[in-house]
Amino acid sequence: MARVRQVSEREATGAVERVYHELRRTMRVTGVDVSLRTWAAFPRFFVAMWEALGPSVETRAFEESAQGLWARTLEATVGWEVLGAWNAADLGPSQRFHARGILELYEAMQPRVALMVAAVRLALRGEPVGRGGRSGTVERVERGALPRMAAMEWAPERPPDARLRALYSDIVKRVGHPGVPGEYRALACWPEYLEAVWSRLGPVMRDEAYARATEGLRAVMRQKARDLPFEVALSRQRVTSLGEDADAVLRLTDALEERLPGLLVNLALMVQDVPDILRQPIPGAARLVPDWVAAKELR
Amino acid sequence: MNWRAWQRMQDVVELGDRFLSYVDLGDGPPVVLLHGIPTWGYVWSGLAAGLATTNRVLVPDLLGYGFSDKRDVFDRSVGRQAEALDAWMDRLGLVDALVVGHDVGGGVAQHLAVRFPRRVGRLCLVDSICYDAWPLSLMSLLGTPSATRRLSPERVGRLLRLALRWKGFETAPPDGVVEGLLAPYATEVGLVSLVRDAVALDTNQTRELAPRLGHVSVPTLLLWGEEDALLPARYGERLAWDIPGARLVQVPDARHFVMWDAPHAVATELFRFMELEVPVGRVFEAGTARPRRVEAELLFDSDAPAPA
Repeated sequence: MARVRQVSEREATGAVERVYHELRRTMRVTGVDVSLRTWAAFPRFFVAMWEALGPSVETRAFEESAQGLWARTLEATVGWEVLGAWNAADLGPSQRFHARGILELYEAMQPRVALMVAAVRLALRGEPVGRGGRSGTVERVERGALPRMAAMEWAPERPPDARLRALYSDIVKRVGHPGVPGEYRALACWPEYLEAVWSRLGPVMRDEAYARATEGLRAVMRQKARDLPFEVALSRQRVTSLGEDADAVLRLTDALEERLPGLLVNLALMVQDVPDILRQPIPGAARLVPDWVAAKELR
Repeated sequence: MNWRAWQRMQDVVELGDRFLSYVDLGDGPPVVLLHGIPTWGYVWSGLAAGLATTNRVLVPDLLGYGFSDKRDVFDRSVGRQAEALDAWMDRLGLVDALVVGHDVGGGVAQHLAVRFPRRVGRLCLVDSICYDAWPLSLMSLLGTPSATRRLSPERVGRLLRLALRWKGFETAPPDGVVEGLLAPYATEVGLVSLVRDAVALDTNQTRELAPRLGHVSVPTLLLWGEEDALLPARYGERLAWDIPGARLVQVPDARHFVMWDAPHAVATELFRFMELEVPVGRVFEAGTARPRRVEAELLFDSDAPAPA
């Protein structure tokens, strides 16, 4: 698959900038991750995707589905050998604080992204997605990142350090396109830790149990996506009618869906390697929305 | 010492929803070293270990700087920084410290001395912001919200490297120091944070202190690079006149980053100020060769008006 451009938060303008803002607030995270940034390279599709998915993403049901997916990911890796990268890396207390914050951030975000990607892929392939709920009938979660959530800080995409560039290249080769996943870009702020993680993940990713776990998670992702509270009105025809290359969008979405279960498993192994990490994101409080606002917001 | 080794030494303290990273070395009477913009605690890395032979040396990164909290959700003004440092010093049980502030850190130190006097046993301002001497033109350019869109981290990095090399130092600093000073701002989050830091630079924050500088009641040392063109030594003279009993030392052959241009002179003055002997044989990291001067200097000239 050809390299797909990512639209950074700095570069985003117009409708994409607006959607980035709404995504960060609705997903309750501090930044926009790689999967979404690559979708944004198709701006009209990106806006339509958000219009179709946004109403579901801000519901309690979506949050619970994402947490359920994460719980299944952790279950899938129970009994696996601990990575040992956390103890192996020579990090100071502040560096560990930052790295732990990044893992907590991705623990909160990556299952949400996985559900969104699975839903979009199913919709683009013509499968019905969502249960057709009505506005005002579903509990919504408050918007905005948790007060202590770490900033989504990434090492540059093309780092000056040749060793890190080689590591990036190996990561993409192994996990697949369209680019270095955000959690690895973030952990690249401490190259020795990323190296320790990646060198230990390599053998695990070649294992049969790993393949079984990722396949199982893919099925869970799709099932949970089908059960989203609102219908996801998106299709290849709709993408084409918006003037975007539907085949390219589908290829990209396929690639994202292909690699996300593996990224979840890897993340679970990294999280379980850290002794004092926050294992479950704090659930958001309910957001009370008057019916007339709900009806207006539900596009 | 390279910046990653310095970062590895950093500890962290959570202050409510914010966090602050700092280096804590040695034992003895506390010395708190504060950095300016666009740097972080690493700016003191050449001196900290030497001072730690007789003192407990604490080097925090201000909020929004270095590897302290860089999220885009709080005010980074000098006054707020002083409040955060008061909370941090409270957590660490620090009172009556020698507080040494460089550049913006000097502004924070002034706020600490005036508003939280029990934290400050002695005050040392090093090429410090004060009165209406700041912000400098380059920082004002950076300090517009749209700078996060107009400029990339790479471009800002290039510009600041140029500025620091050609205007900040009289002698070329050791290899990697300038890159290390700017390392925390090489990411997109870092750039946004640096822009917010620059947005927070406001003359009023030191102007409001000016009438109260006469109330500073602790021994005060003013250390100034004689060749500092960013915050010229005439401001040091003015502070020396306003702060009761303050002593101004102008360090020859030194510019804004006097701790790199003349580390022995700075260390000697600090030990003397603390009424301590300078440790024998202690070597402080210093630069060597004189840097090249270029026409580009014009861009980075201080645009501060002459004191009235």
